[in-house]
Amino acid sequence: MSGQDVGRREALRLLAGGCAACLAMAGGVLPASAQDRAGSGSLFPSVGENLAPRKARWWKKKESLKIECGLCPRHCVVADIERGTCGVRENRGGEYYTLVHSRPCTVHLDPVEKKPLFHVLPGAAALSLATVGCNFECRFCQNWEIAQARPEQIPSHALPPEDVASLARSNGAPLIACTYTEPVVWSEYVYDIAQAGRKAGVRTLIVSNGYIDEEPLRDLCGVLAAVKIDLKAFTEKFYKETCSGEMKPVLDTLRRLRKAGVWTEIVVLVIPTLNDGPEEIRSLARFVKNDLGPDVPLHFTAFHPDYRLMNLPSTPTATLERAHDIAAGEGLHFVYVGNVAGHRAESTYCPSCRKMLIRRVGYAVLENRLQAGKCPDCGVTIPGIWS
Amino acid sequence: MLHSLVAAAVGSSRVVRTAASALEIPGPPPTPRSAPSRPVVLRARREGMLPAQGPPDARKLADALGAAVARAAGEEDPTAGFRRLFRRSDVVGIKLNCIAGKGLSPHPEVAELLSGWLQAAGVPARNILLWDRTDRELAAAGFALRRGRDGVRVFGTEQDYDPKPREWGPNASSFPRFLSEDLTALINVGVLKDHDLAGVSLGMKNWYGAIHNPNKCHADGCSPYVAHLAAYPLIHDKLRLTVIDGITGQCHGGPGRSPRWAWPYQAFLVATDPVALEAVGAKVIDDRRKEVGLGTLADEKRAPRWLPEAAKLGIGEASLERIRVEDV
Repeated sequence: MSGQDVGRREALRLLAGGCAACLAMAGGVLPASAQDRAGSGSLFPSVGENLAPRKARWWKKKESLKIECGLCPRHCVVADIERGTCGVRENRGGEYYTLVHSRPCTVHLDPVEKKPLFHVLPGAAALSLATVGCNFECRFCQNWEIAQARPEQIPSHALPPEDVASLARSNGAPLIACTYTEPVVWSEYVYDIAQAGRKAGVRTLIVSNGYIDEEPLRDLCGVLAAVKIDLKAFTEKFYKETCSGEMKPVLDTLRRLRKAGVWTEIVVLVIPTLNDGPEEIRSLARFVKNDLGPDVPLHFTAFHPDYRLMNLPSTPTATLERAHDIAAGEGLHFVYVGNVAGHRAESTYCPSCRKMLIRRVGYAVLENRLQAGKCPDCGVTIPGIWS
Repeated sequence: MLHSLVAAAVGSSRVVRTAASALEIPGPPPTPRSAPSRPVVLRARREGMLPAQGPPDARKLADALGAAVARAAGEEDPTAGFRRLFRRSDVVGIKLNCIAGKGLSPHPEVAELLSGWLQAAGVPARNILLWDRTDRELAAAGFALRRGRDGVRVFGTEQDYDPKPREWGPNASSFPRFLSEDLTALINVGVLKDHDLAGVSLGMKNWYGAIHNPNKCHADGCSPYVAHLAAYPLIHDKLRLTVIDGITGQCHGGPGRSPRWAWPYQAFLVATDPVALEAVGAKVIDDRRKEVGLGTLADEKRAPRWLPEAAKLGIGEASLERIRVEDV
């Protein structure tokens, strides 16, 4: 495919506008009382108070006060006073507790394009939040300061689900995004946020690695509007060596999401030499098409060195374009290139007539030509959540 | 050197040292008087050290611990022993293991004795830190927190970790800033207990309390994580002595406290070889398990596989045949 169709100067101008919008959205979204609690002043709770234990869901008792967590495929068997791999769920006397319910460590107002979800209310604001914790340990983690921490180590806000929902409404955000870290490990909070959001007329989505067991996923599917899955690669080797995880359960999650009818988009962070081989990309695209359908959006985004993976260069745009072309060639209808502002593959095109439908630069939506979810030129229905 | 230990306490980045210690000539880390051909683990048992009720017998405790510490350093008394193992200019961290709370944590009396001998050996009180992960755990184990300008300080790492993680063996972690920037010497004070995943949690596993992400190191029976962490230079190069408070041991149901499986072992295990001490301690746990009719750790497929790994890394001796246990 050809590269940028937005000139460099124009892209910079548009980006500046987009960033201004982001800045206007970012920060200051917490009520004053919560801001006080979250600040570095004396009003912030001490570390002891920072833990907010609440009975967890999705676990079962074992012998000798042990429990087995049923939240993710790790099935951590956790002895008394110990925590699971995620670091945010603790066995206390044979009962399992989540330590992060209602304790986000970060809350922002982001455009939904930042998640990225391109087929969900384009241009909408998403109240985006995270607690600490993750059940993976990706060597390239871009939010490792909070994803790989334990609750005691990061200041947090006291923000019950109802407050999250009302905060979204008061900031004009029709969406709540559970993101930045791994929402699976704070599923109880996610579930309650989504319930509260529904009552307040705000939809909830998650940005996840998809490493979750069937039962909690089923429960979440009942309340979530959309899911973005980070498909880390398409080999078990990569999942094991680079993420301390497994791929198969993630593929199972994608199939279950499809079956449950929850709107799903997939992002692949393309890392030079590790997961960018043409055959791997082709296999991945075939899986998406055959098991999930050609209408599932697939985003190829650029890696930049971070955390424990500092020895590799950022992903060349040409590599992303090659991945894009392979996936499109396999018959996927909506393939995107991400983290390359101004690239033409940031925009949405009609799979039938190939006309541009939604024009994006960075996180900014410059034009949305969809009419009631259809292409205005040929009338084809474009899948997604448009209203 | 940014002295965050002092900074944390008084908001200063200046190192405060005594004039005498400032005159010391830096050299290789102190060692025991004579390095024995076989690693020695000192076992100091005193019947009645833990009465049926109340706190440990202070005299017996001091006698046992003092004898073991002195012998570990190849000296006649603990102060002389600490003079051999530490410089007056050292900033010494005594790492405790208080996660299980009172009853299965090091006794405060033990830490008090160790810091007292350090001071008698010339280490200023202000250069001694008793520490664990959190204030909460320390307090629950009976330690009085102290962050003042002078005197021995007692506090948890809390949020004061290095901003960037460091690669160590199979993982990467942030360490307490005072460990990476201030402490020049370490005493590891663990307990004698079973661990459901690692097999045992004595001294080496106690270093999990020195990293920000121990939850990422429990797979595969904590192996080889325990070995690599103990071998990490930030820890291994500073470690002078390991003390296991075995006044009460627990042979099953760990790492949490489980009185059903606790027994009054009434002893300390002390060594300068952290791996040898671990091997001996694991055998004590296993022997007790047999006594009470439990299968061995190996029977339960949780023998500490990280022990031979530690030996391979060259930080100590894991083979019981090559370790001498000396009763003092």
